[in-house]
Amino acid sequence: MAAEQNPILEEHIASDYKYGFVSDIDTEFAPLGLNEDIVRFISDKKNEPEWMLEYRLKAYRYWLTLEEPKHWAHLDYPKIDFQAISYYAAPKKKATVGSLDEVDPELLKTFEKLGISLEEQKRLVGVESKIAVDAVIDSVSVKTTFKEVLAEKGIIFCSFSEAVQDHPELVRQYMGSVVPYTDNYYAALNSAVFSDGSFCYIPKGVRCPMELSTYFRINSAGTGQFERTLIIADEGAYVSYLEGCTAPQRDENQLHAAVVEIIAQRDGEVKYSTVQNWYPGDKEGKGGIYNFVTKRGICIGANSKISWTQVETGSAITWKYPSVILKGDNSVGEFYSVAVTNNMQQADTGTKMIHLGRNTRSTIISKGISAGFSNNSYRGLVRIAKGAKNARNFSQCDSLLMGDKCGAHTFPYIEINDKTGIVEHEATTSKIGEDQIFYCNQRGIDTEKAIGLIVNGYCREVLNQLPMEFAVEAQKLLSVSLEGSVG
Amino acid sequence: MSTATQAMTLKEQLLEKFETELPSLFGEAALRRSAAQQFEATGFPTRKWEDYKYINPDAVLKKGFGTRIAAFRDITAEDVAELSPVKDAYVFVIINGHFVPDLSFSGELPDGLTVESIADAVVSDPAAKAHYAELADSAADPFIAINTALADSGLFMHIAQDSVIERPVHFLHIATNEVSAFLQPRHLVVAETNAQAILIETFESIGPVRSFTNVLAEVVVADNAKLDHYRLQTENEAGHLLSTVQAHVSANALYNTYTFTTGGAFVRNNLNVEIAGEHAEAHLYGLYLPSGNSVVDNHTLVDHQVPNCMSNELYKGVMYDHSQAVFNGKIYVQRDAQKTNAFQNNKNILLSDDASINTKPQLEIYADDVKCSHGTSTGRMDEEALFYLRTRGIGEDNARKLLVNAFAEEVVNAVPHEELRNYIDTLIARRMGTV
Repeated sequence: MAAEQNPILEEHIASDYKYGFVSDIDTEFAPLGLNEDIVRFISDKKNEPEWMLEYRLKAYRYWLTLEEPKHWAHLDYPKIDFQAISYYAAPKKKATVGSLDEVDPELLKTFEKLGISLEEQKRLVGVESKIAVDAVIDSVSVKTTFKEVLAEKGIIFCSFSEAVQDHPELVRQYMGSVVPYTDNYYAALNSAVFSDGSFCYIPKGVRCPMELSTYFRINSAGTGQFERTLIIADEGAYVSYLEGCTAPQRDENQLHAAVVEIIAQRDGEVKYSTVQNWYPGDKEGKGGIYNFVTKRGICIGANSKISWTQVETGSAITWKYPSVILKGDNSVGEFYSVAVTNNMQQADTGTKMIHLGRNTRSTIISKGISAGFSNNSYRGLVRIAKGAKNARNFSQCDSLLMGDKCGAHTFPYIEINDKTGIVEHEATTSKIGEDQIFYCNQRGIDTEKAIGLIVNGYCREVLNQLPMEFAVEAQKLLSVSLEGSVG
Repeated sequence: MSTATQAMTLKEQLLEKFETELPSLFGEAALRRSAAQQFEATGFPTRKWEDYKYINPDAVLKKGFGTRIAAFRDITAEDVAELSPVKDAYVFVIINGHFVPDLSFSGELPDGLTVESIADAVVSDPAAKAHYAELADSAADPFIAINTALADSGLFMHIAQDSVIERPVHFLHIATNEVSAFLQPRHLVVAETNAQAILIETFESIGPVRSFTNVLAEVVVADNAKLDHYRLQTENEAGHLLSTVQAHVSANALYNTYTFTTGGAFVRNNLNVEIAGEHAEAHLYGLYLPSGNSVVDNHTLVDHQVPNCMSNELYKGVMYDHSQAVFNGKIYVQRDAQKTNAFQNNKNILLSDDASINTKPQLEIYADDVKCSHGTSTGRMDEEALFYLRTRGIGEDNARKLLVNAFAEEVVNAVPHEELRNYIDTLIARRMGTV
């Protein structure tokens, strides 16, 4: 089917990035480049205790010994100049947690444009359906809403910096326990220069009454964003956590290297949902965010569960493998992903499920959609260690190709060291069948709507996993990104 | 062998051998020289190489393999007869990497079929000259490079245009060494337009002394030709084998490969198939049954370069004891290869707590109007099936064998040649200990 018959495809490929505004906020920068002084500068700015600085320096020194990884991912991008990045940018007017009035009005406008008005949040206090938001702009957590309401239940939800100050024992116990700074190149970098992020602790037996959410935005030019998120669900606790990301349009590439760690104790459950819509660059592939993220959860205790759901539509380069280490017996790991690439975008994303405990189960559902000149790869690992009796995995990776200039790839790694393990993996690559469209046409549904219908159905399995509030946003994103873009 | 050479690494020995023997080797010196340089630059692959992630040829080669070749024992015509799976095949014997005409078929080959020493063919035969080292790229793999640099023997098989050869051609490889040796036979198979043939390669090792065979075969299947290519790998615990097949399939041609591995301490198969002409078709079948401490690694690449082609791949494995198996299959569909149908399936059963399987089925697709899928599953024996059989009075041991046999049969049944199929059945039965 030729592209000219397909106005929506054209329109979408030509469409501009909706969130590409720049907020005029007075910002404080660290000088460009990275050295021990910068690490000290960041630590100093945040008034951190000695142990935190030590940790950062250890990570920095380790990072220096590493080489930028390039060889294995199905990605192609120029070498990153790590000395041309500012590792710290913060809105100058110090945002305090006390009241919204002290927040820079420009900043509030930014969030309004993003559709998560903090003002509105405040007005909504006491209303049943609500989300607590921790907003991180450039590098600094600006405002955490609903903190008091959560505190009543004993839930700690605050910025990472606050947690370092107020709950050092929890941070020290858990930080780096899932993603040590030695894990990989970008995790080491993040451990050295991370500026802020969210911290969340759900005490024993508490079911978090609302969705917790973090909104990340890179605003300033020439900066990198290095946030760090740490979520701990203690015994029998439950939390659903949402993460959203946007960035303004810029010609140069910006670096985003986050680390997310999740710990689920016995009977604990964490559901982590992401809608990632960083600026993907323009049609020629100029600009856009380099998204190099390390996300990992560990089911430490028996019967615990960690579930990752992601809708990835942004970023020039995505390099991201949300993983679960299934250590506790009977623990469960899940990964649901929709990854959309268009124009010159490249994505190499997937998951790792490491089965260590007995009777552990994991499910992987990945839906890739490539359009334009993009490349979209699924890369996933399922490992069943020796002694992980009766482990079970099911993986399904489907790819849709829209147009003949894009690529869709599947690279699963399956390592089985126990005979009682059962692992199934299926992958398909196809385009939308003309017979399917014909079937819809026959019933009076025009081609565009039919494609929307089919694509929606194609992603349903994943979208259904998203919490209500997020599903709406994700569907909107997909409707812009997908509907009609099938050739 | 002096103590000095024993202290040298295999890489150094091979490069030294290259310098001394280059003048006496057949073919173009420049080609060999550049391959040797390629090899010198990289050395043997280590675990850090993505393609050798799960096995470590470097460590295997450190067990000590030399370049000196001496037979452990004489091979007789009776041995050859015994090692032939098919009675009416034209048998060509390669002992320790060297073609032995005295033990090989000496009668008259049918019209259109030529099988001769590659060293002679590269000099005298225009088809051999044209295709030699055309497909195997030394830059792609160090084992290709070192074979290209040092190959001194092997076979050239040519099927002339429009010739249909009914009886199979059998390349019988025997490794039998007095000292641990690194062997490098090299073959070239050319099936011209409309030609049809069957090629069976078997790999045997005799005696307790270690050998490492780095065999390379280039296979050209011209327009509308058909080639069935079998590899039966049944070496003993002293045998190490790395078998590379580099195939090129032209328009309307059909290339079928069958790889059966029931023995050897270390087996690595690199099977690369280029689908280069429209309406070409390739079928890849594999069955591996490693036991003891053996390692079997099957790497396949099906490269779809043109539209309207079809490939199908089925590999199955049953792992015993402490064995380790790897399956790495890639379907590569190039931008122009619209209307490709490519399928891949890999299934495994682990029969021991100490066995392991690493599987990596990959799709890399750049064309949109295609149907491609892969699937892989790994599991244990179906307990319900086992129970069913036992309720009907079949002992547990036999029931298990029955189920493994049924699992393997899917691959075996794909073999069209009846005599060969029966032979493979006995190989499997021998492996399972039912014979």
